[in-house]
Amino acid sequence: MTRIRHTRIAHLMGTVFSVHVICAPDRGRLPDDVDAAIDRAFADLADMERVFSPFRADSDISRLRDGRARLGHLDPRLAEVEMACRDLALSSAGRFSGWRDGWFDPTGYVKGWATEQAARSHLAGLIGLDGVLAVGINAGGDIQAFTAPDADWTWRIGIADPRRPGSILATVELRDGAVATSGLAERGAHIVDPRTGATTVDVVGATVVSDRLTDADAWATVAVVAGSDLSWVADAPVRSGLLVGADGTVRRFADGIEIATADAFTTGPVAAAA
Amino acid sequence: MKKIVIAVLATLSGLVLLFSYRTSLDQSISTAASTPAGGSPASADSTPAATPSASTPSSRASTPKAKAKPKSGLKDGTYTGQAVDTVYGPVEVQIRVSGGKITAASAPQYPQGSPRDQEINAQAIPMLITETTQASSSNIDMISGATYTSEGYIQSLQSALDQAK
Repeated sequence: MTRIRHTRIAHLMGTVFSVHVICAPDRGRLPDDVDAAIDRAFADLADMERVFSPFRADSDISRLRDGRARLGHLDPRLAEVEMACRDLALSSAGRFSGWRDGWFDPTGYVKGWATEQAARSHLAGLIGLDGVLAVGINAGGDIQAFTAPDADWTWRIGIADPRRPGSILATVELRDGAVATSGLAERGAHIVDPRTGATTVDVVGATVVSDRLTDADAWATVAVVAGSDLSWVADAPVRSGLLVGADGTVRRFADGIEIATADAFTTGPVAAAA
Repeated sequence: MKKIVIAVLATLSGLVLLFSYRTSLDQSISTAASTPAGGSPASADSTPAATPSASTPSSRASTPKAKAKPKSGLKDGTYTGQAVDTVYGPVEVQIRVSGGKITAASAPQYPQGSPRDQEINAQAIPMLITETTQASSSNIDMISGATYTSEGYIQSLQSALDQAK
């Protein structure tokens, strides 16, 4: 079954964003609105980078950090994100924090949130256009996807193996939803447990499947911080996921419980650590 | 948590099959079969240089192939992906499609300016090339988890694949 796939790439937030639009083959060309909508999504993301980038001296977040402006006088999205980070710190029992060294630093939250916002505002509506089967956006490895209810299409997402760069460890299929991965592999240890200040080392990669990319991205970070403790999956807004331990152990969960695998059964009681 | 795991283990045999084949819970993650690098259907080394689609290097070439249109839907030819800038420099991927399968992949353009670049490429690029055949054969649409050079490679690979479709 051949499909027309239209892909656009943009360089934003220090990584590569790509938008993929899947169309039925009987459509000779893409609807005109597709490229315009992708343009708007990328422009929206560029604007959010302008507000939230801690690497730009003139960003709203930098002005807040440097004491040049107060929260109430800055872009209102800053206050929205600050509130969301407070909620997340509570619901994750302190495993997530939007603050670092006393400063508001929501970089662990913004990419997933901003991508979902842009996707829902500008890309989700493409599903209603004639011939458009599905739309997906990949923000440097964090994905939000939409599929028309009656479309014969399912996204097949490859999950990169954090211990073998370039290899795919697992796949997940979804029609509507989000997949995000946090890890230590390529940039080295950089995720800090806000409860202790220590750099996390137990889990080298965590992938979370969720309805919303905002949740998937944030809870993938929580998963890395939580390490071998999987108790958080019971109450988190996630569908399923996968953890790769520093020793190569792979653990999976779905619907709030850990899933034992055939491998775990034959090679030993891997799952008993929880 | 422990109790739940034990409960899961108790009904293990049925459950494992359920999840392995995704019959009912299509959002659960199924671990990919670990294909050793050399065992992939069409490895990058075995290129049918002169002969066209008839001589696919795979031993499975004898399966009824004449009537079946290549499952991947890829058209034969050589395709070069769009160059993608990464923080380490531009990455560009070229693939060769023969008999509907990717028979070769290379990165004609990739960052090699500094010793750090070379180190990253030594780690990432060769293994990524092996992955190309896997990604194609299993019809991966998007990759979660990759960053920087990997992401650039995947994007460029994606655009090469798009041209072949």
